[in-house]
Amino acid sequence: MQEQLQTIISQAKMAVKSVTDLAKLDEIRVQYLGKKGELTSMMKMLGKLSHEERPKAGQIINEAKQMVQGILNAKKRELDDAKLAKQLAEESIDITLPGRDVDLGGLHPVTRTLQRIETLFSKAGFDVETGPEIEDDWHNFEALNIPETHPARAMHDTFYINEHTVLRTHTSGVQIRTMENKKPPLRIIAPGRVYRCDSDQTHTPMFHQVEGLIIEKDASFAQLRALLIEFLRQFFEDDNLKTRFRPSYFPFTEPSAEVDIATDLFGDGRWIEVLGCGMVHPKVLTNVGIDPDEYTGLAFGLGVERLAMLRYNVNDLRQFFENDLRFLQQFK
Amino acid sequence: MKISENWLREWTNPNWDTNTLSEELSLAGLEVDGIEPVAGTFTNVVVGHVLSVEKHPDADKLNITQVDVGDASPVQIVCGAKNVVVGMKACCAKVGAKLPGDFKIKKAKLRGVPSHGMLCGVTEIGLPDDDVDGLFVLPSDAPIGMDVREYLDLDDCIIEVDLTPNRADCFSVIGLARDIHAVSGVALTQPFEDKDMAGTLKCSQPVIVKEAQACPKYLGCVVTDFDPKATTPAWMVQKLQRSGLRSLGLVVDITNYVLLELGQPMHAFDLDSLKGAVQVRKAYLGEKLVTLDEKEVVLSEDTLVIADDSGVIALAGIMGGLSTSVTSETTQIFFECAHFSRLAITGKARKYGLHTDSSMRFERGVDPMLPERALNRALSLFSEIAGGTISQIQATVSEEHLPKPITIELRSETITKRLGVEVSKAQVEQIFERLGFDIKETESGWALTAPSYRFDMSIEMDLIEEVGRIFGYNNLPETPVHAPMTLNALPEAEQSLFTLKMALVQRGYNEVITYSFVEESKQKLLEPKQPYVLLKNPISDDMKAMRTNLFSGLLQSVAYNQNRQQPRVRLFESGLVFYKNDSDPTGATQIPMLGGVITGNKSASGWDGVERVVDFFDLKGDVETLIRMSHQVENIRFEACKHPALHPGQSASIMKNGEEVGIMGQLHPSLVKPIGVSGKVYLFQIHQDALMTMQVPAAKVISKFPEVQRDLAFLVDKDLAVQALIDSIVAVESDILKSVELFDIYRGDGVDASQKSIALTLKIQHQDRTLQDDEVDALISDVLASAKQAVNAELR
Repeated sequence: MQEQLQTIISQAKMAVKSVTDLAKLDEIRVQYLGKKGELTSMMKMLGKLSHEERPKAGQIINEAKQMVQGILNAKKRELDDAKLAKQLAEESIDITLPGRDVDLGGLHPVTRTLQRIETLFSKAGFDVETGPEIEDDWHNFEALNIPETHPARAMHDTFYINEHTVLRTHTSGVQIRTMENKKPPLRIIAPGRVYRCDSDQTHTPMFHQVEGLIIEKDASFAQLRALLIEFLRQFFEDDNLKTRFRPSYFPFTEPSAEVDIATDLFGDGRWIEVLGCGMVHPKVLTNVGIDPDEYTGLAFGLGVERLAMLRYNVNDLRQFFENDLRFLQQFK
Repeated sequence: MKISENWLREWTNPNWDTNTLSEELSLAGLEVDGIEPVAGTFTNVVVGHVLSVEKHPDADKLNITQVDVGDASPVQIVCGAKNVVVGMKACCAKVGAKLPGDFKIKKAKLRGVPSHGMLCGVTEIGLPDDDVDGLFVLPSDAPIGMDVREYLDLDDCIIEVDLTPNRADCFSVIGLARDIHAVSGVALTQPFEDKDMAGTLKCSQPVIVKEAQACPKYLGCVVTDFDPKATTPAWMVQKLQRSGLRSLGLVVDITNYVLLELGQPMHAFDLDSLKGAVQVRKAYLGEKLVTLDEKEVVLSEDTLVIADDSGVIALAGIMGGLSTSVTSETTQIFFECAHFSRLAITGKARKYGLHTDSSMRFERGVDPMLPERALNRALSLFSEIAGGTISQIQATVSEEHLPKPITIELRSETITKRLGVEVSKAQVEQIFERLGFDIKETESGWALTAPSYRFDMSIEMDLIEEVGRIFGYNNLPETPVHAPMTLNALPEAEQSLFTLKMALVQRGYNEVITYSFVEESKQKLLEPKQPYVLLKNPISDDMKAMRTNLFSGLLQSVAYNQNRQQPRVRLFESGLVFYKNDSDPTGATQIPMLGGVITGNKSASGWDGVERVVDFFDLKGDVETLIRMSHQVENIRFEACKHPALHPGQSASIMKNGEEVGIMGQLHPSLVKPIGVSGKVYLFQIHQDALMTMQVPAAKVISKFPEVQRDLAFLVDKDLAVQALIDSIVAVESDILKSVELFDIYRGDGVDASQKSIALTLKIQHQDRTLQDDEVDALISDVLASAKQAVNAELR
């Protein structure tokens, strides 16, 4: 019997060795361990043995069964592993191929700049106000202390719709509307499109401005200075940015100043003009029903394209309005 | 305005280099636009006297010259200039000289002949080209051996100042000098003496001022018996040139010189050509004048003129006429030196296209007290150079129309409050003293009277600006704004435009910004019936009409990119559109819109599988995304529509609560070519307001009970809109019908050609309990009945 079992085991070993698929392996399992399998049959023969022989023989057969089972299990693991390995190999992909549905457009650099400016001021409590782009005399000129005979009207080359309506030359009209409709104290910025009748390499007939306005009791020029210096340093993320306030003239502010910046980031450290500002002219306050003895206004206006050009290294203003995708897609 | 730095320094000479001077001018509010040296950098160039000129034996074009350069013996120089002649004075670069461009002059041999220096033309020493082919010829009295830089005063810069309109007082050397004095404290020294030049003879030219308001002061003076051959001295020509003015004869040069020096425009007439009295009056309609620059202008009645019995002889304050101008034949001169009011002159130069140095000054304002001084200065210069007999100065003055000096109160407290810094009493007084104000102390500060040339002063803030300007804006402290901390409102039911834009960006759209004015003909193609607003003075004909939609700009951008090998284009823009509306105070209804355009392939990259071009539903998906972001899907519906810009079978009105808030669709195939795009192009635009008002979400309890799903396929007319079928089902009043969703549309085998099959999924659920079969069946039966009744739908 021992010999017989040894033979069965070696036969099973032989049979398993050459197996390459699970089905065949199962056949072998059935052949040896199935209900009619060789080892199962031997188990059934135990009954023919004497009481004394039976446990011993049973033990030997069981050991043989376990042995065969072990051989089968090992092979099964081997085959499973091979199958998985094959599947994995088959499923390998070129992970360098591009992903699907990557389709990211971009904001226009002017919008991006506007957003940056708006965010800086919003965080300081400024409200964002907007208004019409076709404006009447009053809001674009007269309320701002620019009467018809004022030389400043010649300064603005204005697009006229008719004698009394124009394309706004600045967003100051929004300030007037806000002051007409809301009670001070006020802190607003007015971003938007503005128009001047001018077109060459450094001028486009349409561009964007952000104007800001603070109406407070006892606001001072020193405060305006602090605010704008802070803004410019934050906007350009340059704590060493140098600024210079130059006296200037706007009919709607008194005193008025233009602000130049100099930085190592661009412009070879030369002074570059970036914004105009001043204290709201008392006549303008009176025009909108605010008592200039009680309240003081601080105002500023900046050209968005100019800041965008400096910030993003754009060298030609006209690119902003050509809308060439190769340009736009650089601002994702 | 351009001015010679050296001229300025004759009036006030602070110990500043050119750059500092320019910086200080800018910081005083007189912005320096440019500084230009009058000549290049060179050394060792002297006045040479050409003693002899001989032909070079071996070169046709060269001459051998002997030049006296002031040294012990003359030097031999080989010279190629055509205009070299014996006896001339010329600029001579000696051996060791350095010319612009780091060009060193060394001993040399030219074709075998030694040459010890170089005779120079203007450009060789960095002067502006004078169009002379050859050497720069110096006057015969130029001192031999003198350094040319010194002789020609070349160590000078031209400073260009860009003046703001309020600082008309600085439109002169004296004006700039006054401000430099105010800033630096260095003395202001007038380089000439004010003299009373009036003679004893009566002024023979009568003057009648009919417009005293426009011309409150008119000074006239006749000069006779002068040397008609007298010419403008070199120093004056040079100063004029450095201010960009050509020498035009002594009389004109003197008036120009005084204009630059003191800021007072003047005019000189040929006395013999005047007929009768000189009148200052308004022009008659249609009167003509041929101006000095030989242009004929036809005048309107609002124009102030100088006239005589023959008609108009000058445009007051702008330009003189040709027929009465001073020429080389003139033997008697009538000088005019007047004060014209700003209002009388403003706008006229522009109207007649005659911008002059004179009009520029009168438009901004001239010191009303200046004419007497300026006329005397001009007469003094003239008599020094050309002699002559000067008449009495005849003044026609209307005191009541002359601007009066005003006194403004300045409170010391206001200075501190408005500037945010304390300026000492002594400092304030020093500032105004240097600015030429008359100062009186008051209880709260000062009463200040501005000098007559500072007519820009009218209110206290003007004075505060002066304090700030001279104190230095950059010396003010940086004081943070103090305001109570408040939280701004954050209305959640307002969608931000930025969020909507970012959604489009994430769906592959690039934002564009296009001009708000478009080509009229293209606008008419897209929206022939929509009235639009036109610009009176467009920059060009293709930017004339205010846009009534965002399509024209978007399509133009598509065309631009398609023409640059970009077949796949997805763009959006936000901005106003303008509908002509005469009842609006601005003449237009101005509506904020958001619009987009797509064309080309659906996917950005297509390496796996079939690529296809975009269609209507790709665009609709983008539009629906925007709508969903506003949580208002129920309020928005798409209805088939007709729009002239869009394909009639592929266009939709976007309706919100029954009102059209947008349109979308395919660009009308017949417009593809005229608009200049190619392929199928899909467009949308929606009122921003419709997208920006939304609902704050209010959560509902989720039912814990099972949901029943029923799929129903209907046969309907092939042209029926799916929406109509869904509407008929949703119309069934039921608490348990949760949703109706389309999952298939089928036409073909098994469905009659006149019909289509629409398959819908109905989700049915009770909020509080499990549904019974008969409840669901009852609902389905109602649904079928409603669909049958409304759109004649049969269960397939």
